[in-house]
Amino acid sequence: MPMILVEGLKVSYKWRQEPVLRGVDGEFDNKSLILGPNGSGKTTLFRAVCGLTNITEGRVLIDGRNVEDVYAEPGILSVNFPEVYSLLSVKVRDLITLYADLSGADPSKTYAILEELGIPMELLGKRKLHELSAGQRKAVCTAMALSMDAKHVLLDEPFEQLDPARKGRLIKYLNEYDGVVLLNTHETWLMKNLPEWDAYFMFEGRLYGSASVKKLLNVRLSLRDEPEAVLKMEVAGKTISLVRGRRGTLLTSLESLDRVYELALEAGA
Amino acid sequence: MTKYFTLNVKSMLTHPELLFWSIAFIEFWVVMWAYVFGAYVPKVEEAVKIYTADAYGSLLTLSLSATAVGITEAFLHSSRSIRFVTKYTKLSPSRFMAEHMASSMVVLTLVSAVMFASIAGVFTQKFGMYTPPEMPLELVAVTLLGCLFMYAISAFLSLAVVVFKAPRSARFVSYIPLILGFLAYGALWMDFKALAYVSPFNCILALCIYYYSGVKPTTGAFVMGGGVEMNMGLALCSLVAWVSALTALSILFLRRMKGVGIEEIRVV
Repeated sequence: MPMILVEGLKVSYKWRQEPVLRGVDGEFDNKSLILGPNGSGKTTLFRAVCGLTNITEGRVLIDGRNVEDVYAEPGILSVNFPEVYSLLSVKVRDLITLYADLSGADPSKTYAILEELGIPMELLGKRKLHELSAGQRKAVCTAMALSMDAKHVLLDEPFEQLDPARKGRLIKYLNEYDGVVLLNTHETWLMKNLPEWDAYFMFEGRLYGSASVKKLLNVRLSLRDEPEAVLKMEVAGKTISLVRGRRGTLLTSLESLDRVYELALEAGA
Repeated sequence: MTKYFTLNVKSMLTHPELLFWSIAFIEFWVVMWAYVFGAYVPKVEEAVKIYTADAYGSLLTLSLSATAVGITEAFLHSSRSIRFVTKYTKLSPSRFMAEHMASSMVVLTLVSAVMFASIAGVFTQKFGMYTPPEMPLELVAVTLLGCLFMYAISAFLSLAVVVFKAPRSARFVSYIPLILGFLAYGALWMDFKALAYVSPFNCILALCIYYYSGVKPTTGAFVMGGGVEMNMGLALCSLVAWVSALTALSILFLRRMKGVGIEEIRVV
């Protein structure tokens, strides 16, 4: 069974005093949402899982194999970071052909997803990846990641700058995808559309969870340490809780988890 | 070969900066060598041949060094992609290296061919005679070895920046081949003595002059007639050793590197 196992993962960057990941543990064998505010370490976690950054401590196992030992294995993992699709400075159409050739994917699948996401096909033959708008670039990278038919797909904020109709179409692809999907986002509205998924929360380099998304749809965020909490997390030196009941702010109404800090500030004042 | 080979050739051959600095800029110096610096060269076959050989050796070294800057920069900017494709596609690190080297060699060889053709054309026009290379096969072989060296130093420098986590120095490091190329160009005026064997750029220059003209160059100060006659066997050994060492280190680094984000590479 496909699985990504993360054990005691710590990542530090030499230009940052604080570590980005402070001991992350997780077992991902389903479709999982990783929810956290901007700067919480979600993207760094994905980079570490892919083996694209130096791990200070801990390890990542993909299907039981250390990620450091994986080489030349198409179909194991794909990711939608634009930086991994910058192998050559060529037009997007050539880039799609190249990655399809290297990964054994079907380029027509990429085009089909891009058409659904509303990317004009003529643009692909005229522009390079970095010449596209941020939203178009994200859509192209997400389509390429999904069409590689990898056992594990990591999607970093795939809904950013997509309009609501296109978000809906992408959700359909994600729900139909046959494999392990890890999707990170700071937007909580998404939870309503992915009830069968697992959810993790990430704050300040620590991962909390998991819990079923379905069970979290009606929980509220309390800025206190609640004894009956579904999940407790450390944010800015305080314990916050996800609780059932009427107290606190409905998690799905937050829109963005960046608001947790605003709420914490308001509560402190 | 995968599509990477053909697309990398296409990408490099349509890169305006690479084409400008490797070809257009050096073409200006071809004209300068022929019509300005060559104004007092006697129109005698032997003199023209030695002068043409000096021009070919010097300008080829500069042209290939400029191409090496482009290869280094492209490698640095795609280091995360390289890490990804060598792990999760059919391009293993060694296969990637082979295809990257082969495609870069195609471009470096084309640049060399353009240099040779333009020097031959412009110098024939200026001096009214064509002076073919004395040892053409050896000249082709040493030109290819020079191309291989330029590829090896580009790969080594870019991978060293990534492995030693020094993205801030990326801009400077990518210009090292051109800086060293210009230093070797200084052999026209300066005697490098034993350093002429240590510097692979000087070795390329000297070997090209020798195989083109049949006359062994000195360790430097060509214009002033200084230096001592170089040992061509030693220069060839030095160049081969540099190519082997840099290629071996690059293969080693390729497995160790994790890639560096484009945003981490400081743009001055």
